[in-house]
Amino acid sequence: MKKFSQLAVPYIIWAALMIVLPMLLILMYSFTEHGNSIISFAVTFDHYIKFFSDPDFLLVLWRSFTIAVKTTIICLLLGYPLAYFIARSAEKWQNILVLCITIPTWINMLVRTYAWIGLLSDGGLFAQILGFFGVEEVEILYTEFAVLLGMVYNFLPFMILQINTSLCKMDQNLLNASADLGATPFQTFWKVTFPLSLPGVINGITLVFLPAISAFFIPKLLGGGQYFLIGNLIENQFITVGEWNFGSAISMIMAAVMMLLMMLVKKLEVRNQGGKEDN
Amino acid sequence: MKKSSRPFGKILMILAIVFFYLPILYMIIFSFNEGKSLTTFTGFSLRWYQHMLESRDMMSALYTTFTVAILATLISTVVGTIAAIGLSSSKKLVRDVVEQVNNFPIMNPDIVTAIGFMLLFITFKVERGYVTMLLAHIAFCIPYVMLSVMPKVRSLDPNLADAAMDLGATPWVALTKVIVPQITPGIFSGALIAFTMSVDDFIISYFVTGGGVKNLSIMVYTMSKRVNPSINAVSTLVVVIITVALVIINVVPAIAAKRPKKAEMGKRKIAIPCTIGAVVVAGIIAIFALKPEVNSDLPYSGQTLYIYLPGEYMGEEIVPLFEEQTGATVIVENFDSNEQAYIKVTNGESYDIIIPSDYMIQRLMEEGYLQKIDKSLITVWNELDEAVLSPAFDPDNEYSVSYFWGTVGIVYDKTKVSEEDLKEQGFGIFLNEKYKGDIYVYDSERDSFMMALKDLGYSMNTENEAELQEAYEWLVQCVTTMDPEIVTDEIIDNMAQGRKALGLCYSGDATYIMSENENMGFYMPEEGTNRWYDSMVIPTTAESYVLAHEFMNFVNSYDMAYANSDWVGYTSPNLAVKEDLSSEEEEGSYAGINAYIPRTDHPLDEVFVFNEEVKKLMGNLWSKVKIAASNAK
Amino acid sequence: MERKKLIEFRNITKSFDKQITLKGINLDIYENEFVTLLGPSGCGKTTLLRILGGFLEADEGNIIFNGEEISHKPAYERELNTVFQKYALFPHLSVYENIAFGLKLKKMSKDVIEQKVMKMLKLIGLEGYENKNTTLLSGGQQQRVAIARALVNEPKVLLLDEPLAALDLKLRKEMQYELKRIQQEVGITFIFVTHDQEEALTMSDKIVVMNGGEIQQIGTPEDIYNEPANRFVANFIGESNILPATMLDDYKVRFDDITFDCVDYGFKKNEPVDVVIRPEDIDIVPVEKGKMTGEVLSTLFKGVHYEIMVETVPGTSVTVDMRVIRTHEVTSENGKEKINASNFYVDLEDVDKLDDKEIIARSNAMAWSTEDDEYISIASIEYDIKPELGSYPVVFSTANGTAVERTVFVVNQPFVKNEKANEAIMAFNFFTTVDEIRESQTLDVDIMTWANAQGWKLSDENQSIDISVDYDFEPENVKEGVYKITFWTTGREFKIHTTDYSEVGQEVGLTFFPEDIHVMSRMDF
Repeated sequence: MKKFSQLAVPYIIWAALMIVLPMLLILMYSFTEHGNSIISFAVTFDHYIKFFSDPDFLLVLWRSFTIAVKTTIICLLLGYPLAYFIARSAEKWQNILVLCITIPTWINMLVRTYAWIGLLSDGGLFAQILGFFGVEEVEILYTEFAVLLGMVYNFLPFMILQINTSLCKMDQNLLNASADLGATPFQTFWKVTFPLSLPGVINGITLVFLPAISAFFIPKLLGGGQYFLIGNLIENQFITVGEWNFGSAISMIMAAVMMLLMMLVKKLEVRNQGGKEDN
Repeated sequence: MKKSSRPFGKILMILAIVFFYLPILYMIIFSFNEGKSLTTFTGFSLRWYQHMLESRDMMSALYTTFTVAILATLISTVVGTIAAIGLSSSKKLVRDVVEQVNNFPIMNPDIVTAIGFMLLFITFKVERGYVTMLLAHIAFCIPYVMLSVMPKVRSLDPNLADAAMDLGATPWVALTKVIVPQITPGIFSGALIAFTMSVDDFIISYFVTGGGVKNLSIMVYTMSKRVNPSINAVSTLVVVIITVALVIINVVPAIAAKRPKKAEMGKRKIAIPCTIGAVVVAGIIAIFALKPEVNSDLPYSGQTLYIYLPGEYMGEEIVPLFEEQTGATVIVENFDSNEQAYIKVTNGESYDIIIPSDYMIQRLMEEGYLQKIDKSLITVWNELDEAVLSPAFDPDNEYSVSYFWGTVGIVYDKTKVSEEDLKEQGFGIFLNEKYKGDIYVYDSERDSFMMALKDLGYSMNTENEAELQEAYEWLVQCVTTMDPEIVTDEIIDNMAQGRKALGLCYSGDATYIMSENENMGFYMPEEGTNRWYDSMVIPTTAESYVLAHEFMNFVNSYDMAYANSDWVGYTSPNLAVKEDLSSEEEEGSYAGINAYIPRTDHPLDEVFVFNEEVKKLMGNLWSKVKIAASNAK
Repeated sequence: MERKKLIEFRNITKSFDKQITLKGINLDIYENEFVTLLGPSGCGKTTLLRILGGFLEADEGNIIFNGEEISHKPAYERELNTVFQKYALFPHLSVYENIAFGLKLKKMSKDVIEQKVMKMLKLIGLEGYENKNTTLLSGGQQQRVAIARALVNEPKVLLLDEPLAALDLKLRKEMQYELKRIQQEVGITFIFVTHDQEEALTMSDKIVVMNGGEIQQIGTPEDIYNEPANRFVANFIGESNILPATMLDDYKVRFDDITFDCVDYGFKKNEPVDVVIRPEDIDIVPVEKGKMTGEVLSTLFKGVHYEIMVETVPGTSVTVDMRVIRTHEVTSENGKEKINASNFYVDLEDVDKLDDKEIIARSNAMAWSTEDDEYISIASIEYDIKPELGSYPVVFSTANGTAVERTVFVVNQPFVKNEKANEAIMAFNFFTTVDEIRESQTLDVDIMTWANAQGWKLSDENQSIDISVDYDFEPENVKEGVYKITFWTTGREFKIHTTDYSEVGQEVGLTFFPEDIHVMSRMDF
């Protein structure tokens, strides 16, 4: 197969141009002042200092982090039983259910989020249902609940599909072996099924947490302008304020936070050393 | 496996399916709604579909979304597969490095990737538009394709290619006839992921696009502030397209498999992509066919006019009529805010006409981004309202021709808000806890600070930091004690529906609100308010200079100005139009609506003046106000 | 034996997707037994084991374990443990944790668990491996861990599902002894599933032979080997000579036209039966001392013994002439095409069966392009062959008119009958060329085609028999001329395992004791 190694060369060049270079540019912008060019620039740490010295910015970062964590936890709590149910269904049903979960992800995220506005707004379907039960005047749209709902709605399929994949890959004989050794179904689940599905859970967490922490259109559409997350802050800097250098610095901070978290997760994964059948 | 009934799982599953499909169903149902409301179904109608088909913006967004997705999928699948094959036979070091690099777009938040692309294109002066969007999509799809192809390639017998070549196959034949068929499932799932990612993408597209090129996501994002049921129609169309594609993918092989002859089996593999391809091509042709043909006899045929203006700010028939009359093609791009327009223009984006507000015109003018208009080419001077001529930012009308104008005031629900409170307190009513939880604050630093400064008795153009700080505290008090919703154009529909008691609003939007809901009133505080002018200007980058003048005349001519103002609700600079639309005798749409007639005689009313320092300070303070609001919840 | 019944299967049936996998299994298993379920894949043995383990539920029937009906008990409540086919070791747990898994579930105290696990590790010879990752162990080590994991729970029964299948030959042999040793050491019942008859014979106290969802025979290895209940068992277990015979009377069986004494009885008079004689039960003796006589066909040294094939009933043979003639292909006028064919013989009776296809095959007619050597199809064949003795011309031609004429000889070919072996064979003289012989990839098959050699059973003309071909030329050195070709069948052959050498071609006598003849009722497959 050595003959094919030169096939990778065009992509290596492409990757350098389209992946590495943009990252370097963000890095460069984050350390320079407005008006600098790639040819002449002066390094400055001002943007980072500005971010870290202002508790308000840190609070935004913290809020983004907490809402992402909340989203992830809800997705995990809902996604695991659903994935488990699908994995334990008859094979014919498995495919249909997986398809049912996948189809909505094919419809544009914004379109789906937009659809929620009508459902959640005052006088919308939800308010009417709540009104029917005697709960009046509850505001749903433009609350944290709406933002969470939007995030869970958009990202839950990722969690389900990831966990389902890892559950389906599991050797049925391992579960038999556990029962054989005297474990009740409940014990089997906690001692065998769950630990072995951890790689899927971790993948799912990654796929939910990542977009959740950087989301900006979901909070903007469902949370209103008073819902300000780190993604909105970055968008704000680039689109409205025009502070690209500061925006780049925030982006770098966010990327760094993500990388750190991912490394932590990877560590966790290695420690659990599940998913051996992949190799 | 024993199959027990597992009621808990079943119920949860059903709830999940309802959860996933309810919004989609809701959207489909309301796409057939006769009324504009998203909450009450008033009757069956296809008007939003008609509207969608007539709206070139939507059709071209649909076209962009799917062509970009298909092209990006095809290219990224081919490139990704080749790269994966090549990489798997490369040195381990190279492989590890590339895999690590590929992880960047996968593991980075989308917004970071998006900003990277944007900076890349800007730094290297690549004009942003369709091509840059496609390039970006290809770039972020390839790593996903490789991720799903790589494991398949690695699980191949390394001797496979050698065996093929030993039997006399050329490397190309070995690749296409031996390697590729073995990894087809991986390639297929990679392509599927790529397609999903591309169709679904918003963030990256949003940052790398330009020149009015929009995909569905961007369109929804820029349009969703005002209720627009056509979005439902377009979304329903997307659902239909996806469903058809799914049916084709799932049913065609099933039918093909039923054919008796074995010889057909080989053809089947080609048949599926062919069918899908055919459907897609047919769809694209259909969309293209909807684009009106250019009549080459007209004076400006072949020319293109780029207009950059706020969203939902022009009557629907204006552009088609103008095109019909001149033969030119008009490309309309919308901005969210004057600041966004400023960034685009100063980054060299080329437009022929921009319609920013007073202070932004002043700024662009001062910084040399505008060119003078040729006054002799403007024929509508004598039709314009005295009040819009010679504004402070352009006293000699050298740079601008008025488009809409108005004031800012308070829209209130007459059944909930007492007029005494309004008269007594002015903008201070936004601090009156009687209305806690029942107010909208406009998400714009300018307008919010105007409100605060006016209430405090200062000039809204103050450069005094202490005053600004005071205004900031005023706003913080408002957002922390009043539990307001900070929104932009959503205010319009929500007030029209009477959802809250009070909101800060532009007079033009108030006009629309009042025409929709008679319980609504518009009040301009005695403390003074902001009088504003949105005017058409020609940036230095304009390419169709004469055509731009043609448009300025056209849009301010009586008929067009009437249609435009009637549709949008903002006050026309054409005096006759203003009078007729507000007159009872003429049965004007806005008769009896005080918001339609801007206040011109109040001494405390001001027009914004641009000051970079103040603007920056306000911007930062406003971000903090929002953060405070966010933290107060 | 006063051993206690431990497990009783009562009329177990099971089907998957309407396909019946188990057809009413009845089986008793005793304490402290090493029982093997033996059979080819798909015979239902694994299904039965899984039903016992509780991983499948039988459609019908009961399982009684230690006097208690357990058919509906879940797996985790059954007092038995399983060693799975691919071991099913938990990849996320270490060797120690795997073995301790069951004990921890029983909430035993830490030091008891440690004691027991260590004891087990010693038993399986893996001391010092307790903290190893199971996925990093070798196949044999994983196997041992799986056994230890099951045994540590001190089950009454250990189920083993083809546990040695994944191991290489040497390791498999080793593990066979190991398993047997462990079984004897712990003194519990092992139920072992395998398709390897040798494994079953080596290890078991009792073998249950299964096929097609039914039990074929239950017995000790010796019983199964020496007294197979039917042809299936005889064939599946060990090597054997199986021949059709007739049971004349009790203790009298007749095969190959000879009546023998035997120890079997209870069949109907003149009932058709199968007879098994194991190769090692037959002795080679001088001709005059043998119960049967025959010619030694082959002698193969097998290490401890020779495997000698003796033909007691001769086969049939026929010899024909092969005329190798010069190539005389015809070239077209423009030199672009060539065509060629051979003369051939045909039997009077077969003339009406001749058609274009048959003639092309028999005459080996072909045409090809001289430019690229590609074959060209033969467009037309003209012939007029009457069902009378004589010779007839045949003209083969291509679409372009290149033609060649050949002759077909209609003859009355006699066939060779062999009443004793119930068969007949026939072949024709034929023509061929040096090139065809040299270029033939499968000369034996081609010669049979050219000679139209065929063989059939006298009792049933439609049942063909295998024919071999012999010739004494070297294909690469063949020249024009006439060669003798012999077609022949093998006769009744006996396989004999003996330590004495016999010369090939030697006439020998065969003898065996009456108790070495095992009569089985005939089965219909």
